[in-house]
Amino acid sequence: MDSSRTVQLGTSSVVQTKSKAKINFSRKAESEFFVDNSALAGFTGERILYMAIRELIENSLDSCEAERILPKIAVSLKLVDPLNDLWSISCEDNGIGIRSDKVSIAVCSFLTSGKYVELQQRGLFGVGLKMIAAFSTKDTDHPLKVWSKSVEETSEYYFELRTDIGTNKPIVLTRRDTKPKESIIKGKSGFRIEAVLRGRLSPVTKNKIYDYISQTSIVNPYAVISFSTDDGKITFDRRTNIMPEPAKEVLPHPADMDLKTLKKAIGNHALQKTTIQGILCNSFQKLSFDKAKEIIRNAGIEAKQADKYSEHELIKIVNICRQTKFQSPNVDHLSPIGERIFTVGMNTERAIFTRKENAISHDNLQPKISTREMKPTLTGYSSRACIINNRPTIVECGLAYGGNLSYFKLYRFANKIPLLYDEGSDVAREVISEVELNKMGVSKKQVKEQFSGLDSRSDRAIDLLPIHIFFHICSTKIPYKTAGKESIASEGELKKYMKACLSDLYRKVSKQIRHEMHLKDAENRLKLYKYYIPLIVDAISESIDVSAEDLTSSFLTLVDRHVKKEVSHPRSLKANAENHAVPEQHHNVRGQHKSSRSKKAYLVTKSSKSLKMKRVDSTQEKIENFMTSSEELG
Amino acid sequence: MAAMDRRHKETIKKIRLIMKDICDVVLSEKKMPSLDITKIGYDNTVWSEEKRMLTVGAKTVHISPDTTKKIPTFSQYIVMSNAVRKLLDEQMESTIRGMYYATLSTVGDEKNKQKFWTSQDASDDAIKAVELLTGVPREEFSVTSKPKGMISGPILLRVGGDIIDCNLGSRATSQLIPTNIMDVEIVDVKADFVMVVEKDTVLNNIRKSGFIQKYNAILMTGSGEPDRATRMMVKTLNEVWKKPVVVFADADPWGLGIALRYKIGSESLSYDSDRLVTPDAKVLGMMFSDIYDYNIPEVARLTASDEDLNRANDMKKKQWLKDKKWQKELNLFLKNKEKCELDAFFKHGFRYLAETYLPQKLRESGIL
Repeated sequence: MDSSRTVQLGTSSVVQTKSKAKINFSRKAESEFFVDNSALAGFTGERILYMAIRELIENSLDSCEAERILPKIAVSLKLVDPLNDLWSISCEDNGIGIRSDKVSIAVCSFLTSGKYVELQQRGLFGVGLKMIAAFSTKDTDHPLKVWSKSVEETSEYYFELRTDIGTNKPIVLTRRDTKPKESIIKGKSGFRIEAVLRGRLSPVTKNKIYDYISQTSIVNPYAVISFSTDDGKITFDRRTNIMPEPAKEVLPHPADMDLKTLKKAIGNHALQKTTIQGILCNSFQKLSFDKAKEIIRNAGIEAKQADKYSEHELIKIVNICRQTKFQSPNVDHLSPIGERIFTVGMNTERAIFTRKENAISHDNLQPKISTREMKPTLTGYSSRACIINNRPTIVECGLAYGGNLSYFKLYRFANKIPLLYDEGSDVAREVISEVELNKMGVSKKQVKEQFSGLDSRSDRAIDLLPIHIFFHICSTKIPYKTAGKESIASEGELKKYMKACLSDLYRKVSKQIRHEMHLKDAENRLKLYKYYIPLIVDAISESIDVSAEDLTSSFLTLVDRHVKKEVSHPRSLKANAENHAVPEQHHNVRGQHKSSRSKKAYLVTKSSKSLKMKRVDSTQEKIENFMTSSEELG
Repeated sequence: MAAMDRRHKETIKKIRLIMKDICDVVLSEKKMPSLDITKIGYDNTVWSEEKRMLTVGAKTVHISPDTTKKIPTFSQYIVMSNAVRKLLDEQMESTIRGMYYATLSTVGDEKNKQKFWTSQDASDDAIKAVELLTGVPREEFSVTSKPKGMISGPILLRVGGDIIDCNLGSRATSQLIPTNIMDVEIVDVKADFVMVVEKDTVLNNIRKSGFIQKYNAILMTGSGEPDRATRMMVKTLNEVWKKPVVVFADADPWGLGIALRYKIGSESLSYDSDRLVTPDAKVLGMMFSDIYDYNIPEVARLTASDEDLNRANDMKKKQWLKDKKWQKELNLFLKNKEKCELDAFFKHGFRYLAETYLPQKLRESGIL
């Protein structure tokens, strides 16, 4: 370590000596620690730009949702210096903004956050934004530019900031009120940040950014998100004005108490000189004063002023609490997406497409990227609340099928953030392979027969279906598998609840899917007829003297009528399968067969008309019964 | 030949009638056509006590192009019928593989192309369907399989116009049994009896030993599962030429199954048993008890597989194996779980099978 480095470290003092075997104990600033261990926050090589976009969008959404503002977010990512891989990244939102006296530390100082409370939010650690500031400071000489108009203030402030990595303190280069004419933020409040970052953007990472944005839009259909790149601009419009209930801050649950939370609670009440019982019932949920007294009694400790207890006495309280049964925790601090919003999201899913290079060469005005809206024919939603790791957790599951969906896809979300990497090791993948397809009322064999032509890279039946499955887990403590937070582990009973949700959905959509598959079957069959009828007609017309044209046209009308009849009176697929095994009597007993079929069709068709008729019948019966009985009376 | 021509014409007529029926149903009645075909398989095979053979039951299947699965099947049957009609019109003959190639094509458009036949099995099934639809065995419409049956001994055949003497004298080779059985005529048989063995390797060994000359026998084999020509030849020798027929196969359930093909028929061809089965054939060996009676050393015995045991258990329940002798044999097999090939006798010396075992067995049964 050279001397200039020592100076830069500031708070830490590294004494360099000549002797070899001396260990130097030194303290690192948070900022320096995170810059050195950037992988902890996911900022590694290729992923820097992806993570930056992610962090900015998540901060913006959190900021809007805090005050139920319908989010409007504009993100941009543009290459400014190809030689040195410098990118300009910006994000503007209409959220609550940050108070002018807090802007500099909120942007630059690590582990400073307004989010250290027990409630579901996207970001939790106060690292992401700081990471962008630190990397910008580290790799470029451009300052961070920030415009903020807080809900608590009337004017907009402009900042130019850099981070002093050695001390975790912001360096404020410029700070001024923006004059009304120059103001950037048009609404009541908002926040805009611009930074220059050094990074590379491989096509894979670029697609991940697109995926991230389009998937974010699925679970946030109430947000307008636009994204400008060198390839063009795409905008995800707002498809609903409904926002999920915002998460509320809640007290910790006593079953989750430890020495740290207890001491913190006591510390918060230090000036009030209250009893320990009072602190317990004021600082934890589901804990009445009587219950608190009971806990103190069971802990066997004497009554005194709360701050006079020793750690030895306090740990007794903690231990008793962990053994005591409490009401299950409330879930006000969670903010699930909810059926209405989820359904809107699933029905308006849009995928981003990049046009091939050669296609644009002659027309540079056309943007390279575009979106295509997915229109499934049906969607379903199901959810479960449960306790995982002592934390209340809500599992939400959605399913979209058919329409212009052409492949299977699994979407995973944790606290409304899309998870894009490590799908193979995620618990959701296990859930999907463990829930039997026949809950949908279709067999693997049927699926394989009908869909194997689509894209049969996999031999798993589910992968052949044009189906999108969505899982959203919300909790204040998601059981991530790794520090990278990209896949969820099968913790506790989580898998069981996820399976229950998916099973629900399979059952819910089973009737419609079977109908869908029936239509699909009819379509396939018409295709088959188109292929095979010429063969049949050729063979026959070669053998006997018959007009091939007449035979073909008769055959085509016949099969058309046949398929239409099948579609309007679907025999269930199961019955259909049985028919293969025991073929119906066709030719020999034509008369009989006809009548039995029409009967079947009547039984199966649940048209409102027949139901109504039935109802009328029964009313008529009642009237008749009534009349006969009154006649008897008369 | 004239008789043959007439039969060909009848077959063509039958095929045309089937086509005509379909046209009528489609054009006039405006209904889905359907082909009614006798069902083939274990669930439509019935044991006839009177005939002492497996016969076909009353079940039929209806092949109509009304479901996704049956559209190709229906087309295949019609296309194959037309191909057979063409073959007869052109006065040609073909193997079943030839028919497969003659009708080979693809269906569908550029995007979604499929093979008309998934394999030759599918086309073989279609040929069977034509047999069932017309009631004419495929030999009569000149569709044959590759010959694999073999015959040696004092018997004179005429194939077409050529005379074939199967008593070749040199002991060095056997005659392939022609599969175009309609063209084959037995001119003269000088042998006293017919011995059928399971495999050609065993037949070669016996022939080489001079068995034919010594006992005045005809040796035959189907080389495993016998083809129709071999079965029909055995039947003719037994019923027309009144020669006793004995069958030797390996001492395992598979071998016993092959021996029974000659004697009682098979499930897949139960519709044609009347032409193929020789109920008077005697299955003489190799018995499971022979393994122990003839001291086959342990090293030459084989351990029965689960499949063997299941098969034996099934066989025990069959009506045609109900007599005490067979029950005892099968129980012995199930108890010891050991099987043995005829070739195992070579362990006792190369001439043991032909000069000791077989003559002894034949004497026991009164053939010699």
